[in-house]
Amino acid sequence: MPSNPSDFIGAFMADYFAECDEHLGVIRRHLLTLETAVGDAAPAAPVVDELFRSFHSLKGISAMVELREAERLAHEMESCLRAIRAREIAVSAPTLDALVGGVHALEHVIAARRSGIEMPPIDAPLARLAEVSRAPETLEAESDTAGAAPGRDAGMPQSGRRWRVTFTPSADLVTRGIKVDTIRTRLSAVGHIESVAPRVTGSGGIAFDFFVTIENGDVFAAWRDDGIEAEEAAAAPPLAATPARAPAPRAFDAPIAPTNFVRVDLARLDDLMRLVGDLVVSRSRLEDALLRVERLAPSTEWRTLLEHSEGIERLLRDLREGVMRVRLVPVGEIFRRMPFVVRDLARDNGKRIQVSLAGQATEIDKFLIERMMDPVLHLVRNAISHGIEAPEERIAAGKPPDGTIRLAASTVGESVMLEVGDDGRGMDAAAIARRAREIGMDVPDGELDPRALLEVIASPGFSTRAAADRASGRGVGMAVVRDTIQELGGTLAVETELGKGTTFHIGLPLTLAITDALIVHVGDRVFAVPQSAVREVADVEQDLIRVIENNELIVHRGVALPIVRLARLFGLAEAPRARRHVIVVGAGSAAVGILVDRIAGQREIVVKTLNDPLTRVAGVSGATELGDGRLVLILEPVALTRKVRGRAAMRAAG
Amino acid sequence: METTPVSADARTFILFNVAGTTYAAPSRQVRHIEMIDEITPVPNAAAHIEGVVFSRGQVVPVVNLRVRFGFERAERDIRSRLLVVEAGGRTVGLLADEAREFVTIPEAAVHPPNASLSGVSGNYIEGIATLADRIVLLLDVQDVIGVAPPAAA
Repeated sequence: MPSNPSDFIGAFMADYFAECDEHLGVIRRHLLTLETAVGDAAPAAPVVDELFRSFHSLKGISAMVELREAERLAHEMESCLRAIRAREIAVSAPTLDALVGGVHALEHVIAARRSGIEMPPIDAPLARLAEVSRAPETLEAESDTAGAAPGRDAGMPQSGRRWRVTFTPSADLVTRGIKVDTIRTRLSAVGHIESVAPRVTGSGGIAFDFFVTIENGDVFAAWRDDGIEAEEAAAAPPLAATPARAPAPRAFDAPIAPTNFVRVDLARLDDLMRLVGDLVVSRSRLEDALLRVERLAPSTEWRTLLEHSEGIERLLRDLREGVMRVRLVPVGEIFRRMPFVVRDLARDNGKRIQVSLAGQATEIDKFLIERMMDPVLHLVRNAISHGIEAPEERIAAGKPPDGTIRLAASTVGESVMLEVGDDGRGMDAAAIARRAREIGMDVPDGELDPRALLEVIASPGFSTRAAADRASGRGVGMAVVRDTIQELGGTLAVETELGKGTTFHIGLPLTLAITDALIVHVGDRVFAVPQSAVREVADVEQDLIRVIENNELIVHRGVALPIVRLARLFGLAEAPRARRHVIVVGAGSAAVGILVDRIAGQREIVVKTLNDPLTRVAGVSGATELGDGRLVLILEPVALTRKVRGRAAMRAAG
Repeated sequence: METTPVSADARTFILFNVAGTTYAAPSRQVRHIEMIDEITPVPNAAAHIEGVVFSRGQVVPVVNLRVRFGFERAERDIRSRLLVVEAGGRTVGLLADEAREFVTIPEAAVHPPNASLSGVSGNYIEGIATLADRIVLLLDVQDVIGVAPPAAA
């Protein structure tokens, strides 16, 4: 028995929300497919079936948690799809709008329950759904298929006897994977579930009463150990579902084929990743120790030890990759929401927009994807409100009236590239520079290169529009987008051409927890620099460092490269040296060299975040332990160099 | 501000010394006490932040109590201790000159800090206790690990 019913209900609700997310994901995907079928007499049956099944499941699980609003919405949409499937109604634009509106309402209802806020009103979407679900008279005659399906189904539930099946969940059962959903699936596989209701038992626990019509009650005996009790119930249904939907569509209710997926709590994966991290550290200790005893051990013995150690390292890399892969989810999770956003915003803005998606199967760490949802959403909103022109304007410019927003993802080495592009009017660099100067920003003279352009539009408070419209208050938003991406160790770049469109390129690390880094020394300090940020490493002679107006630079590959001394940035003592190393980060005009005393090598590090407010410092993203118990700070080169540019700008201004 | 419940007649504390004064931290907020190996300095952090240490799998910021309380920094020695405390969902290390006692202080022995003292020690003193011949300052841990007031650098 659960020791504490409220804990249990909490866990149960968490399951409910997770399952809702899954179903809503499926629904969003299929509604998009359905949208392409607008006007078709017979939309693809599998899509309609799956939609139906998802709404049906949502209805069922919502009833179990007594979220009546969600239950009613799901029920209306289920009815609507039943009508589509039976060809009583066609998939028209209003039908689709009603469904999309219904899904929105459903999302809001579930979100409201999740965060404990007031339920949004659902009468309007319900009414619209009811309206579109009513079959027009003209179609009534054509009832071949409509008649056939319920006809076949109608008999089934009625045969057999009615049982009251009580399922009492417990922590023990949960560990065996038996939850109320399991039971529901089982019961619907052998019979027809009329209703289900949770109740609090005498001892303060929770139990579910299912009323089931089933042909053969023998199955219950085998399930006794699974918290199930069954007794034959009286014939009269206590709370029969609306008589109008009497012929239960059993064809849809077919038991869902067992899938090969398990749902895992992210916290458990984090634990696993942490353990792998600890292992990586332990192994590097082992290697250090081995290298120290090389002289003491007989060489053949020592060689064997070393081989074992290397074997462990290989396995560890595989293990780490395996755990990482478990955390990866398809980028499609972000992308799939976007067409809905675009749909609504395009309508509000009087624009016509297509969405093209590419590389949805590209995988990325679950943690990253959750953080990236808002930034991508923001870029898409920007593209709609600032990028894509109104249809007349597009036609006048010789473009097709429909604008296109392109979302693409791809894997490049250890990073994932996301692209958010539009074929709109592009950014007017000159106008942006003018505006920036007007509001007193420090902007370089002449034409803004893409890098400088991004810097301007991502500075807090910058906006090209007098009044921020509903979709995007651009200034603050872009700053948040850029900061979020940088916090995640990613990069943001923009490409824009006046009249042709704008594309944002986002580069993200595949995962955050473990990464390759350069270990660098400055004076007596040691730092780690993530390899992903390093473009190049070079030697530099003290004599070749030139000083121009307080800025130091070197000539590297024929171009002037500004350099920053880590020692100066961090107020550290710097030993005189004739020769140092420079780590080149950033590209093009943003390239900066970070000067360090020595590069001690490259190694795999386990990233620990440094998020206590006491130690939040620009340019330091985390810390890692190299195996001797001491911490080494992990630098964030982009933030470091931004700091330098900020100082330079301040000096120039002052 | 977090106040410690005063329901029981007596509470347990860890006693530690900073610059010749004895302080007490509620034992339920002290996770453990460590010897100090090496503290990794964090550049550009506030003056009283000694750096970070790796403690039981976690990166923990270290507050130098001497500096936090307005004294001179001192060399660490064999008696220096790190009190790893937890408050407000954060874990922070407090660097003390010495820490070794675990005591029970009866409520009756605790008095509110008087005005002249709070002038010196700021808000981080929650009360004063007299134990036999000693005076002990009860620390408000939450306040001590708070993001510092703009200290004169």
